[in-house]
Amino acid sequence: MSSAAELAWLIPVLPLAGAALVGLGLISFNRTINRLRKPVALLLISLVGASAVISFVILGQQLAGAPATEVLFNWASTGDFNLQMGYRVDALGAVMLALVTTIALLVMVYSDGYMAHDKSYVRFFTYLALFSSSMLGLVLSPNLLEIYVFWELVGMCSYLLVGFWYDREGAANAAQKAFIVNRVGDFGLLLGILGLFWATGSFGFEEIGARLGEGLASGTITHAAAVILCLLVFMGPMAKSAQFPLHVWLPDAMEGPTPISALIHAATMVAAGVFLVARLQPIYLQFPDVQTVIAVVGTITCFLGATIALTQQDLKKGLAYSTVSQLGYMVLAMGCGAPIAGMFHLVTHAFFKAMLFLGSGSVIHAMEEVVGHEPVLAQDMRLMGGLRKHMPITAITFLIGCVAISGIPPLAGFWSKDEILGVAFASFPLLWVVGFLTAGMTAFYMFRLYFLTFEGTFRGNDYAMRQQLLAAAGKGGVSMEGDEDHGHHASHPHESGWQMASPLVVLAVPSVLIGLLGTPWNSRFAALLDPREAAEAAEHFSWGEFLPLAGASVAISLTGITVAVLAYALHRLDLATLVAARFPAVNAFLAHKWYLDDLNERLFVRGTRKLARQVLEVDAKVVDGVVNLTGLLTLGSGEGLKYFETGRAQFYALIVFGGVIALVVLFSAFG
Amino acid sequence: MDANLPLSAASSLFGSSFPWLSLIALLPAGGALLMPFLPGDGTDPRGPRTVALVVLLADLLLMLWVFSQEYDGGTSGLQLVERLPWVPLLGLEWSLGADGLSTPLVVLSGLVTLLAVAASWNINRKTQLYFGLLLLQASAQSLVFLSQDFLLFFLAWELELVPVYLLIAIWGGQARQYAATKFILYTATASLLILISGLALALGGDTFTLNLQELSQRSYAGSFGILCYLGFLVGFGVKLPIFPLHTWLPDAHGEANAPVSMLLAGVLLKMGGYALLRFNVQMLPDAHVVLAPALIVLGIVNIIYGALNAFAQDNVKRRIACSSVSHMGFVLLGIGAVDSLGLSGAMLQMISHGLIAAAMFFVTGVFYERTKTLSIPNMGGLAKVLPITFAFFLTSSLASLALPGMSGFISEITIFLGVTSNAGFTTGFRVITVLLAAIGLVLTPIYLLSMCRRVFFGPRIPALAVVGDMNPRELVIGLSLLVPTLVIGFWPRVAIDIYEASTTALAGDLASHAQIALGRISALG
Repeated sequence: MSSAAELAWLIPVLPLAGAALVGLGLISFNRTINRLRKPVALLLISLVGASAVISFVILGQQLAGAPATEVLFNWASTGDFNLQMGYRVDALGAVMLALVTTIALLVMVYSDGYMAHDKSYVRFFTYLALFSSSMLGLVLSPNLLEIYVFWELVGMCSYLLVGFWYDREGAANAAQKAFIVNRVGDFGLLLGILGLFWATGSFGFEEIGARLGEGLASGTITHAAAVILCLLVFMGPMAKSAQFPLHVWLPDAMEGPTPISALIHAATMVAAGVFLVARLQPIYLQFPDVQTVIAVVGTITCFLGATIALTQQDLKKGLAYSTVSQLGYMVLAMGCGAPIAGMFHLVTHAFFKAMLFLGSGSVIHAMEEVVGHEPVLAQDMRLMGGLRKHMPITAITFLIGCVAISGIPPLAGFWSKDEILGVAFASFPLLWVVGFLTAGMTAFYMFRLYFLTFEGTFRGNDYAMRQQLLAAAGKGGVSMEGDEDHGHHASHPHESGWQMASPLVVLAVPSVLIGLLGTPWNSRFAALLDPREAAEAAEHFSWGEFLPLAGASVAISLTGITVAVLAYALHRLDLATLVAARFPAVNAFLAHKWYLDDLNERLFVRGTRKLARQVLEVDAKVVDGVVNLTGLLTLGSGEGLKYFETGRAQFYALIVFGGVIALVVLFSAFG
Repeated sequence: MDANLPLSAASSLFGSSFPWLSLIALLPAGGALLMPFLPGDGTDPRGPRTVALVVLLADLLLMLWVFSQEYDGGTSGLQLVERLPWVPLLGLEWSLGADGLSTPLVVLSGLVTLLAVAASWNINRKTQLYFGLLLLQASAQSLVFLSQDFLLFFLAWELELVPVYLLIAIWGGQARQYAATKFILYTATASLLILISGLALALGGDTFTLNLQELSQRSYAGSFGILCYLGFLVGFGVKLPIFPLHTWLPDAHGEANAPVSMLLAGVLLKMGGYALLRFNVQMLPDAHVVLAPALIVLGIVNIIYGALNAFAQDNVKRRIACSSVSHMGFVLLGIGAVDSLGLSGAMLQMISHGLIAAAMFFVTGVFYERTKTLSIPNMGGLAKVLPITFAFFLTSSLASLALPGMSGFISEITIFLGVTSNAGFTTGFRVITVLLAAIGLVLTPIYLLSMCRRVFFGPRIPALAVVGDMNPRELVIGLSLLVPTLVIGFWPRVAIDIYEASTTALAGDLASHAQIALGRISALG
C-alpha cells in the first residue's frame, strides 16, 4: 500500500477549497448562500472530516513506524535563489494533524447548535473551515518561512473570528488587539527567520540547527548573535501562545463566539507557539541560555495566569487565564529541554480545555435563555449557580475537565503536568517550586469555577445583580433591547441539544483516558515522537523518584480543591472578605490583571497615537511648508501660486506643458 | 549587458512585424478622439462611458494576447521593438519596446485604467471630456512604460500630467484647485530635473543619442553620473513619492474622486518606481552602486514616516494615501538592495501595491457614494449595513498589511531577503535596515485595522443613511483587483516569471559594476 503521506497536501487543501467556494458564494450571491445553512455546514464538515480521515491514516502509519516524508517544490525563485514550499509528515506533525482535525470536527458539530440562531451562520462555518485549513498547513510546514505564512494566516482567522460579532464594540477592540499584539511577536519571528537565513542560508529546521552549530564552531557567527536570533524567533511563540508579556490579547479574545475560544484560543492556534518551539529543538538545544529564558518566561506566564484566574467572575475569562497558565507549563517544559513532555501536555490540555470551553459555551447558551444575549450577564458567574440540576451532561463533563486539569490521577492532566514538573525539578528546582504552587492554584480556581457555576442555587433571576453588572460594564440597563432579544425569557436554563452535548461527551473520553498513553514507565506517546529517548526513560524509571514528586503534586492539588470546597461549596470560608480585607493591595493587583493592560494602554497605545499626531503636525507645517517654499522660490515669486490658485488653473496645465515642450525644442536644437 | 540590441536595420522600421506596441499605446487615444463627436450635453455618461469601456477592454485584451503570444519572459532584452524616426531634427524617434520592467506595468496600467472607467459609472458632468481624458491618460501611461527614446518618454511623462491635473481640478472635492495646482507644480518642477538629467546624459557621450538602450551602454563615471543620478532621483522621487517630496499626494488623493485615486495610486506612483529602475539603475549603475545605501535610508524613512502619518490621518483617503507612501518605501528598499532579490521584490511590490491600493481606493469610493463622508470619526458600524463592502475593504486592508496568501507578502518578504542577503553592505547596516523596516510591518496593521474598526465595526451610527450594498458591477471591479492579488499570493511565479529575467540581468550588471568600483577603490589604496 502506498503511503498516505503522499496525500497529506489534501489535508489543508480540502477545507480551503470549501471555504473559498462558500466565501466566493457569500460575496456574489449573499442571500441565497446565507439560506443554504445546512448544506454549507454539511459540505464543510465533510471536507474537514475527509481531512481527519487522512490525518488518522497518517497517524496510524507513523505509529506503525513509517518514515518521515518531505515533499518540496519551487514556489518563487529569482536569480539563483529558490524559495521552497511543500509539506512534511513526521510523528510530531501526525499527532498535531490528528488533534487539530478531531477538535475542529467536534467544534463544527457543536457550532451547528451554538450558532443556530445567528444570522451569520454560514460566514461562521466558512471562517472555521479557513482556520482549519491554515492551522493544518502550519502543522505540515517543512520550513520556517512556510510556518510564517500559515502563522500569519491563523492569526488572520483569529482576527476575523474574534471580531465575528462586528457590531459589538468589545469584539472590535479585542480583534484588533489580538492582531496587533501578534504582529509584534511576528516582528521578532520574521527578524529571527531573516537572521537565521542570513547566518545559515536556509529555512529548514535541521539544516539551520546543523549549520548554526558549524558556524559557531568556525567562528563565522558569534554566540551572542545566535542567541539574539533564537530569542527573536521565540517572540513569535510568545505572542501566539500568549506568554508574558505578550499574553494580553488572549483574555480579550474571549469576545469571540465560544466555539472559537475552544478551538482557536484553547486547543489549537495558541498551541502553535509551543509546536514551533518543539520544531525548533534542533536549534534551541544548542543554546542553554536561550532554554533558560524560555523556561523562565513559561514559569512567569504559568504563575501569572493562575493568579489572575483566581479572581475572575466571568466564566470564559477564568478559563482563558487558565489557558494562559497551562500554556506557560508547556513552554516551561520546552525550556527544560523536554519537548515530548510539553507536546504531551499540549495534547491532553487540548482535549480537556476544549471540553471545558465548549461546556462554558453550553452554559452561556443556556444562560442566554434567561438573561438575554448580553455577554456581561450571560457569562458572569454571579448570576449562575445550581446549573447541574438543569444541565447534567454539561455539569458532569465540566467536572471531569476540572479533575483532569487539576492533575488528579488517572485523568489526563495528571500525567502530562507531572511529567513537566518532573523535568523542571531536574533542571530548574526554583522554577519547579513556582510550577508546583501553581498546580495548587489551578485546582483551586477550577473548582471555584465549577462550584460557582453548577452548585448552590440559581441566581440568574437576581435583577438587582443584573442591573449592578450592567452598570459596572457601563451599559446601564439599556442593552436589554438588542435586536436579537425577543423579550420573553425562561426562568431557568435548559440542557443544550445533541449537537452541543455530544461533542462534550466525546471529548470526555480522551480527557479521562489519554494520559494513560504517556505513563512514565511505558510512554506510547514518547515512543512515537522519539523511540530512543522513550526507551531510555522507561529504563531509568524508578518508583522511588516518581512517587514522592507525584505524591506532592497530588497533595497540593487536593489542598487546592479542599479550599475551594470549603469556600464555595460548604461556605465555611469567606475568602473574598478574608483576602480583600487583609490584603487589599494583592486583591487590587490581581483584579487589575497585574496592571499590564493599563501599562500597555498608557505606554504603547497612547504613545503611538501621540507620536503619530506629532509626525503629522511636522509633516503639515514643516515638510510641506519647506517644500512649498522651495517651490515658490524656484518660481521666482509668491505671486505665482496665488494666481494659479485663483486663475484659470486648467489652462495652467497646458502652459506648463507647452513650456516644457519649448524647453525640449530649445535643448534639442543645441544638441 | 544585453546581447540583442534593438538596432538591426531590418527591424528598424515597422516592416518586420506588426507594430503591436504602438497599437496598444495609441488605441485609447484614438478612442479619445471620438469623444467630442458623441451626442449629448455632457450630463449623460452612457455614450462616452460605453466607448471608453469598449476601447479599454479591447486594449487590455490586446495586451494580454500580444504579451502571451509574442513576448518571451525568459529573455531579458527588449522585445517587440519598433523604431521610427519622428523628428530627426531633435533626434526624436518613435521607439517602443517591452522588457520585464515594462510589460507587467503596462498590463497593470491597462487593467487599472479600465476598472477606473468602470468605477466612474455615475459621472454626470462634462462626461465626454471626463472619459476622453481617461482614455488619453491610458495612452500616456502605456507610452511611459514602453518608450525607448528619452524624449518620447519625457513627452509621455508630461502628457500624462495633463489629464490627471484636469481630472482633479474639475471633478475633485472641495479644495480641488489647491490640490491640482500643488500636483502640477510638484510634478512640473520635477520634470525639469528629469529633462536636464536626461539631456545631460544624451549629450554626455561621444555622439548624441536619445535611445535608452544606447544610453545605457555608455558608462558615466564620477561626479557627472552622480549628478545626473540625483537629478533623476528627485525628479522621479516626486512621483514615487520619496520623503520629503510626498506632500502633494495626500492632498491629491483627498480631493480626487475615487477612480482618479485608483489611477494615481495604481499606476502613477509606479511610474516613479519604473523610471528609477529604467534610468537610475539601468543607465547609471556606477552611481547606483554608490548611492544605493541612500535609497535604502530614504526607503526606511518612507516606510515609518508614511505609516505614522497614516495613523494620524482622520480622512479615509488621506490615510490610504499615506499608506502608499509607506508601501512605496519598500520599492525604494528593494531597488537600494541592488541584488536580484531586491530588484525582483521591488517590481513585485509595484505590481502588488498597484492592485491593492487601487482596490482600497475603489472600495472607499463605493462607500463614499453611499455615506457621502470620508471622515473616520463620523463613521461607524458600516459593516452591519454594507457587509459585502466591508468584506472587500477588509480583504484589501489585509492584503495591504502584507498578509501571506496575498501578493504584498511575497514582495515585502523578497525585499527583506534581498536586503538581508546583500553582501555588499556591512552587517550592521543590514541589521538596522531590516529592523527599522520591520517596524513598518507592525505599524501597518495599527493604522489599517484601526481604520477598519472605526469605519465598519461597532454599533451602527443612525446618522449615516446608507442604502444598498455593492452591486454586481462593483463586485466585478473589486474582484478584478483582488483575485489577481490572491493568485499572485498563492502562486507568485505568475508575476515573477514575466520580469525575472530582466531583473536578474539588471542585478548581474550592477554586480559587475560593483566589482569594477571595488577594484578601482583597491587600486587607489
